[in-house]
Amino acid sequence: MEKIESEYRVEMTGITKSFGVVSVLEGVNLKVKHGEIHALLGENGAGKSTLVKILSGVHQKDDGKILLNGKEINPKNTHDGQVLGISVVYQELSLVNDLSVAENIYLHKLGASKFWMNWKKITKDAQELIDSLGFVIDASAIVRDLSIVQKQVVEIAKALSEDTKVLILDEPTTVFDPHDAQKLFTNLLRLKNEGMSIIYISHHLDEIFKIADSITVLKDGIDTGSMATKDINKDNVIKLMIGRELDDLFPIRDAIVNNTPVFEVRNLYGSDGFVKDISFSVLPGEVVGIAGLGGSGRTEMAKLIFGADKKKSGTLILNGKVIKTDSPFDAVKHEIGFVSEDRKEEGVFLPLSIRRNISITSFKPISDKFGFINYQKECDNVSALIAKLNIKTPSSEMNVNNLSGGNQQKVALAKWLSIDSKLIIIDEPTRGVDVGAKIEIYHLINEVAKKGVGVIVISSDMPEIMGIADRILVMYKGTIFGELPKEKFTEENILRYSIGEELKA
Amino acid sequence: MNTAINKQGNGLGGILKFVLKHNTIFIFVLLVIFSALISDVFFTETNLSNLLKQVSGIGIVSIGMLIVILTGGIDLSVGSIVALLAVAFAILVNMVVLPLAILITIVMGFALGSFSGYLVAYKKMAPFIATLALMTIARGLGFIYSKGSPVTFDSPGGTFMSDFANNSTLFVPNIAIVFFIIVAVAAVMLKYNVFGRLVIAMGSNEEASRLSGIKVSKYKFLVYAISGSLAAIAAIVTASRTNLGSPNMGVAWELDAIAAVVIGGASLNGGKGNAVNTLMGVLILGLIGNILNLLNVPSYPQQVVKGAIIILAVLFQKIESKK
Repeated sequence: MEKIESEYRVEMTGITKSFGVVSVLEGVNLKVKHGEIHALLGENGAGKSTLVKILSGVHQKDDGKILLNGKEINPKNTHDGQVLGISVVYQELSLVNDLSVAENIYLHKLGASKFWMNWKKITKDAQELIDSLGFVIDASAIVRDLSIVQKQVVEIAKALSEDTKVLILDEPTTVFDPHDAQKLFTNLLRLKNEGMSIIYISHHLDEIFKIADSITVLKDGIDTGSMATKDINKDNVIKLMIGRELDDLFPIRDAIVNNTPVFEVRNLYGSDGFVKDISFSVLPGEVVGIAGLGGSGRTEMAKLIFGADKKKSGTLILNGKVIKTDSPFDAVKHEIGFVSEDRKEEGVFLPLSIRRNISITSFKPISDKFGFINYQKECDNVSALIAKLNIKTPSSEMNVNNLSGGNQQKVALAKWLSIDSKLIIIDEPTRGVDVGAKIEIYHLINEVAKKGVGVIVISSDMPEIMGIADRILVMYKGTIFGELPKEKFTEENILRYSIGEELKA
Repeated sequence: MNTAINKQGNGLGGILKFVLKHNTIFIFVLLVIFSALISDVFFTETNLSNLLKQVSGIGIVSIGMLIVILTGGIDLSVGSIVALLAVAFAILVNMVVLPLAILITIVMGFALGSFSGYLVAYKKMAPFIATLALMTIARGLGFIYSKGSPVTFDSPGGTFMSDFANNSTLFVPNIAIVFFIIVAVAAVMLKYNVFGRLVIAMGSNEEASRLSGIKVSKYKFLVYAISGSLAAIAAIVTASRTNLGSPNMGVAWELDAIAAVVIGGASLNGGKGNAVNTLMGVLILGLIGNILNLLNVPSYPQQVVKGAIIILAVLFQKIESKK
């Protein structure tokens, strides 16, 4: 048991850091007590990740002081951080796909230990660790075969596999549905009560207010103050984060709704038999929300409609005509767009420029019949979209991997706004996106709908889906279990349908 | 603040930045200067035109390789296709009129490339495996149809091709002109045509390409077919230069072509590379051989030096990409 030498487990004072000429942190203070969940908030690019990377030893500070339990520390690399008991669960998964769950969890020990590994013991320990978190994952399974949610759980187990005193979580719940997130919170509260200090980075204010004891807000590399959660409300926090009042998180839903459906799907079945008997319609100008727990088949259904996965049977009707979408090529031909939930792997081309990313769907209007591109037309088209979506970049030639999450998401959306679409399916429109960009994306969706486009929005974020949708379909075990009209939008109703329960009378 | 970082540095730093950015061209120029200094034979018309004639065949194959590598694939069959089609062209030129012989040879190249293209695009076979199989098949067929010995040109068409391949127009060897035209067409297609955009997009993220409504399989198929067709042109050029088609031609050309593409700064993961830099890669490889020949270095040490220079060239590029 460590002796408590100081009121604070972690004391970072006057932390300054710059990369080249770009100053990222300017004299930031962060104080975390023993047995406390401390939320670190701020828009993308505010310096949250850099701050925790300095604490864990990934980056080195230019100036300032770090005290761990009253003693000054200077972690030079992540190994130093681990030895001091600082573990990080990063936003980007860092597991080795070809190794087992147990091997991944104890990866850091593989090099350090004796010559021979006791695989039995490692697998047993790993299994106990995962069981203690309350998730069902086989410790001998290969990581490649896990779902993204399970991978995130393994990531957390890995961080807890050593004598962790400070646990840092960077957006841990982005892939979780509310049910799994709740499980994680229960674990965090338990760890806190055992005396662990937890630094929690998230864009979800609801989560923060549910579990955090205190909050530090960063804005443009400066901390705008720390306070106890009980002394502050959501609006104040948002004001501190974006530096302005926030009364219009969601736009007023005022799209003209015509009563002849623009899109209809009847009795859709997936070839693997998981998604079954899907029937619904979308009116022009309507935003239909799709809710449900992770693994309820939301993304799978969207990919069936878009032709990215194989259908067994079903009829799709667009503007009164039966259409076939056997591939995304067919879907795009019929003017259906799809924004994937997995931005980096399926949404954008990270090493390519914004211009090349946006143009990928819209060569027809900017090229001649031999496929030669009119560069001027292309640039005009792209610049107009950059301006319209307020993508923050010095130029259209900037590679997308240099943009923040919110701006990357806007590029993924811009791709479909550069052509006329009749139906746009957006899977998790604001995952890992900061508040400012979120608002812009909501307004954008509203604007698209106004033009008479049918919009399907899949989201795990309850306030988001209730704020943006006109109607919510809730999926459970591969099919649509219930439908909620606007007047019945409550978190409870969505959750009830999500777990296969009827609504209370 | 961002503009401050992006601003071109001036003075010495600016020059260094420029050199690193265009490092392939820089290495090429350096090698030319070095060659001219150490050998007075280097800058003679005979030597330079020999050098260009020697690299043209591999150069044409390298452009096909570049297009395949841009999609994230690889084509190991090109050297063997050159051998098989050099034999085929020699047989054809003695049988039918010249334009028909050229046409049939190119169609055969397209068909051979389509074979690996089909396996990769529609049967989801790894490019390395599919083209490795075609590599041994094509080489074997080359030996079968030639019965193991070279087929000599013996027709007016053959004589015409051999004259064409060994002559120059305005001091530039005709076959080098063919090579340069192919480089130019590839450069234009990759930069200004939808085809090039899609090939690069596929190489940088195949799933995102598919979900953007691109027929990924069609373009995958097409790049191997193009690579096969270019190997056919390389076969015609190479056979014409020596007045015969031999099943021993094009040995290890696939490796030289990959080396040229990589020296030209392309990424084997796909999505990065261009035709002009590949041209530089081809010329750099050719120059190394040429200098070592002029210095009378025997062929085995030559191979060692060549390998070392490939490593140095790629390390040099790493410095640039880290910036």
